[in-house]
Amino acid sequence: MNSETLNTLDTYSKNKYKYGFVTEIDNEKPKKGLNEDTIKFISFKKNEPDWMLDWRLKAYSKWKKMNEPKWSNLYFPEIDYQDIYYYSAPKGFDKKPKDLSEVDPKLIETYNKLGIPLEEQKVLAGVAVDVVFDSVSVATTYKGELEKLGIIFCSIGEAIQKHPDLIKKYLGSVIPQGDHSFSALNSAVFTDGSFVYIPEGVKCPMELSTYFRINAENTGQFERTLIIADKGSYVSYLEGCTAPKRDDNQLHAANVELIALEDAEIKYSTVQNWYPGDEDGKGGIYNFVTKRGLCEGKNSKISWTQVETGSAITWKYPSCILKGDNSIGEFYSVAITNNFQQADTGTKMTHIGKNTKSKIISKGISLGKSQNTYRGQVSFLRKAEKARNYTQCDSLLVGNQCGAHTVPYIDSKNNTAVIEHEASTSKINEDQLYYCRQRGLSHEEAVSLIVNGFCKQVLQELPMEFAVEAQKLVSISLEGSVG
Amino acid sequence: MNIHDNYQKNKKNIFFSKNKEIQNHREKLINIFENDRFDKKNNDSLKNINLKNFFDFKYKYLFPEEISVINNNHDNSYSIVSVNGQCSNFKDDKIEITKILEEDYNDFSNNNTFEENDHFVNLNSLFLNCGFKIVIKKNNNIKIKISNIVTDDDLTIFQKNNFICEEGSSLNLIEEYENKNNSTLNILNVIKLEKHSQLNHFLIQDNSTNHNLIITSHSSCKKDSTYTQKVYNFSEGYVRNFHYSELLEINSEADLQGIFFLKDSNTSNNKTFVKHLAENCKSNQVYKGILKDLSKATYFSNTHVDQVAQKTEGYQLSKGILLSENASYFSKPELKIYADDVKCSHGSTIGPIDENAIFYLRSRGMSKIAATKILISSFINEELSSINNEQMSDIIQKKLLRYLSAIK
Repeated sequence: MNSETLNTLDTYSKNKYKYGFVTEIDNEKPKKGLNEDTIKFISFKKNEPDWMLDWRLKAYSKWKKMNEPKWSNLYFPEIDYQDIYYYSAPKGFDKKPKDLSEVDPKLIETYNKLGIPLEEQKVLAGVAVDVVFDSVSVATTYKGELEKLGIIFCSIGEAIQKHPDLIKKYLGSVIPQGDHSFSALNSAVFTDGSFVYIPEGVKCPMELSTYFRINAENTGQFERTLIIADKGSYVSYLEGCTAPKRDDNQLHAANVELIALEDAEIKYSTVQNWYPGDEDGKGGIYNFVTKRGLCEGKNSKISWTQVETGSAITWKYPSCILKGDNSIGEFYSVAITNNFQQADTGTKMTHIGKNTKSKIISKGISLGKSQNTYRGQVSFLRKAEKARNYTQCDSLLVGNQCGAHTVPYIDSKNNTAVIEHEASTSKINEDQLYYCRQRGLSHEEAVSLIVNGFCKQVLQELPMEFAVEAQKLVSISLEGSVG
Repeated sequence: MNIHDNYQKNKKNIFFSKNKEIQNHREKLINIFENDRFDKKNNDSLKNINLKNFFDFKYKYLFPEEISVINNNHDNSYSIVSVNGQCSNFKDDKIEITKILEEDYNDFSNNNTFEENDHFVNLNSLFLNCGFKIVIKKNNNIKIKISNIVTDDDLTIFQKNNFICEEGSSLNLIEEYENKNNSTLNILNVIKLEKHSQLNHFLIQDNSTNHNLIITSHSSCKKDSTYTQKVYNFSEGYVRNFHYSELLEINSEADLQGIFFLKDSNTSNNKTFVKHLAENCKSNQVYKGILKDLSKATYFSNTHVDQVAQKTEGYQLSKGILLSENASYFSKPELKIYADDVKCSHGSTIGPIDENAIFYLRSRGMSKIAATKILISSFINEELSSINNEQMSDIIQKKLLRYLSAIK
């Protein structure tokens, strides 16, 4: 590495997290720690029916017997579950505001800082936003238009009240409470998240979107998202996050369940930019996410796209269970780690039905002193006749103190199924860099251009609303260390 | 019978059981056995294994009546017959063969390449009952053929061999494992290559159904040395091939290749692991398998590149063909990279024989079986044609024909 690169590395590694600010709002919290009382408190606060409380308590009793999964390539201090607040709702939100003017102006200000002015967005972007600030939905827009089509898009809390039959049927059907300790934890204490139901034959005319934001120190956020696409329907869902700067590690364990019935398609896109910790690896979000989609019906399709740039620890494997014949699962991922970030992310494609297809494209970029792992499982069960999988996972290393790891698990029990997997790891091509520099780009611009090209295959899968933001994010993430 | 009792009972037959240091090490191993949960899911070495067969065994070892024969064929080639893991001492100006010594054991027990829960390696250390050490002296170029013979049924042989290639030496080593009895042979080869040395290692495995063969090897390469290993597994019994390689100094190379042909309800577990610890080293790991009937196979490959190992080139390839609907193949090609200036890749495919290719051949008048056979041969042709030893090539061809003839 030449001295110029080292200089740029040095300059940019000192860049501060651009979205680090804190809104001071009084919070209403239960006591710290996790026990039955906490769960009862949450359930009471959310005015939940008894069956929901029982469901939570059942999950809690399972969680008590479980240990955290240990197989990941992540190192972090033991999480003290008794030192975390499990519920925090901005004050005065017991009764939801009917429109934006009733919302705490400080909240609105926060969104403005983030560049998501709610009111403008309502009109301009054509996106219905279900904003989660800490754990309670702040405002839900565009509801009326969606209601006309019979689409249900609301917070999960509201869905428990209004659509108990759907919740009873589907909640926990893809991610069982006792799947692993983080899913059990989420099932016990989840506070908010989104619920989407697309009725039969309806193509959702707009991209549904939620912005999450963690506020309030020491509050773990446990969202639960459930999306059901009934026969022949289509929905594209966007999830994006930025978090204010904090020193204490914050735990985040979300569960996302997708269910696609016959001929339905769900597209789920994420841009994740939680606070990653500072340049010394201090602070940052611990992000343990379970995302799983079930292609229940024939010809159904679930597509995951993610851009992961934030969090001190990312533990996330959006997966697809391809149960229906001819169903399709896709996973596109860009994971960028910088400074002391650690990411262990990938996917799991389980082929059960005939003619099922899956495609995995994963791009990992490691900078600074970070560790970036792709971990993916592709398995073909006995009945997955003529199933197909194609996997490509590439890693790019920038700087000699980071690590890039690839851990695929490939299992075939069917002799008509075809699996192809390829992976490569390398550094930025010197020739490409030289070519760009020769044409007048600065070192920083050149690297940014090459990395964006490296990720293009994934970024182009994002909906328009996200594509621009994601490209900017990639460049911003690189600034931290290469330019 | 648990491992501890089994060991205590047969202690007198086991090597080095009077040595204090070794005893301490073994006590540690027994502890590991007793505290392990034998978690098949997360322990590479236990996948598809019948635990009872291997860990609840009856210890039996017979010292052979006729100890091995070593022939010096005067064209720099030696043939060795190792009987029940025993080999007589031999010495000339090119090679030296001795029994394995306590210091070799200690040398090994300080090696931390193997996972603590690789129980087959632990069993080997615990019940060690035979083994030899071959030193190839400086600047010699020789060939050795070793036939590993097990004389009786129900033997449990735990063997440790050391191969040392001194500076500038070159060795062509062919090892044959063709046993037709119900024994278990657990071998651990420790291979050391000094500067500028070279070792071409062929392993031909062709045992009968009830013979279990467990081979583990650890090779370490110093400056400018090259280790090439080719495994041909035609066995009808269980075979495990776990091969580890460490590239310690610059410009060294490791090439670990294997082909396995499985049928009936046979299982094979394979693993290759290359650790790059110096600059400018190359490695290659290629395993190909053909699975018929109810057979099962696993292949774990791993390239580990240390932070100092810049300019590394590391490649992995795993290919499997499933010929029947009940066969299964699991592969896990892993990369762990801590240096940035590297070229590393892996590829893995599992699937049936290409239907279009079959159609092409059939449309030219070939029967389906003939077409399948041709395509299988071509699948592994690259590996077979790279054998530059005529005698070896013939042996392998014959065994391949035997396997193909069973395809219907």
